[in-house]
Amino acid sequence: MKRVLALVVLVYFALPSLAFAAENGDEFDPAQEWELQTWGPELKLGPIDMSINKAVAYLILGTIVSILVGIVFMRVVKSGDPDRRQAVGETIYEVAQIQVAEQGLPTKAIGRWFPYVATLMIFIWVVNMIGFIPLPLSDERFELFGVELPTLAIFAATSTLSVTLALALMTWVFTHVEGIRENGVRKYFKSWIPDVPKGMLVFIVPLEVIGQFMRLISLSVRLYANMLAGHMLILTFIGLIFLTHWAVFPVSVFFGTLFYAFEVVIVVSIQAYIFAALSAIYIGSAIEPEH
Amino acid sequence: MLSSFFFLAAADDGADAGKAIALALGIGLGALGAGVGIGNIFGSMIQAVARQPELRGELTGIQWLGFALTEAVVFYGLIGGLLAFVLI
Repeated sequence: MKRVLALVVLVYFALPSLAFAAENGDEFDPAQEWELQTWGPELKLGPIDMSINKAVAYLILGTIVSILVGIVFMRVVKSGDPDRRQAVGETIYEVAQIQVAEQGLPTKAIGRWFPYVATLMIFIWVVNMIGFIPLPLSDERFELFGVELPTLAIFAATSTLSVTLALALMTWVFTHVEGIRENGVRKYFKSWIPDVPKGMLVFIVPLEVIGQFMRLISLSVRLYANMLAGHMLILTFIGLIFLTHWAVFPVSVFFGTLFYAFEVVIVVSIQAYIFAALSAIYIGSAIEPEH
Repeated sequence: MLSSFFFLAAADDGADAGKAIALALGIGLGALGAGVGIGNIFGSMIQAVARQPELRGELTGIQWLGFALTEAVVFYGLIGGLLAFVLI
């Protein structure tokens, strides 16, 4: 049974490359994956574009799955001996509590901000992970028995800058709101000014202010660039087959699989953990400034 | 736009070839620094655990934090290079 399952999974994962071969021929370009086309009617809310595209679909899917993760692993707890499902749920909770929340947040703020950082961790992990599963949500179409179907493709919502910037903006706004609420406006902004000689303040204070804005950039670009580079590498290595010669097939599949495994095993989890941990650290440092 | 960047850059236009070389060199040099940094982090981690094995659990979190912060430097370079490639 397990072997059959493994075979089915293998064939499923091999399908996208076949679709690429059928569709693109020699006109292969991995950057096309990031040209988002609008699905269905254009929904405009004033100047804001609310229409659905591939990234939005992935985000909606990610939201549903992360809600399900919470319900399945943590809400439904049977009495009696804990089974494997409960163990998984407790592991997730433990990572969120010990590795993320307690590392950055002061003890008095954990109750209030633990839900936020844990949600960030699970949501980003799920969205990243969905990005590495071939799903029929691509903009490209192919014909199967006369029916037009979307090709299987890998795409992560977090490999678009708008998504990660929105997440980072949330953390950034919460940081300052929480800092002002805990310490008052005067004391909070005073904590930005470090203990240095008077003459140095002219140079240091602008740097501190810029540093606050750099957090926004570094937090969003870190996640965005990691996911973008990962997908680009995998697509590029697979695409080498169609661009050069079929004889590079073993090499490119080997490296494609290698990068795929590296991304799925390490990068996905680390980026989710880092985003949540840094959010906790930023919020924690605003609540209890060092000075 | 971005399409020429990946594979066909050198073929048609001298300026595009120069840009491709600059992009590759920039990312390579960025990766050099980050490689040294990541090596440092894991080296220090090995030393720390060798000296005090009981601290491993506490150190792992800090190690991955440092790893991700250092690794991201390459990607800032990559994004900067891509922006320069597309805009100029």
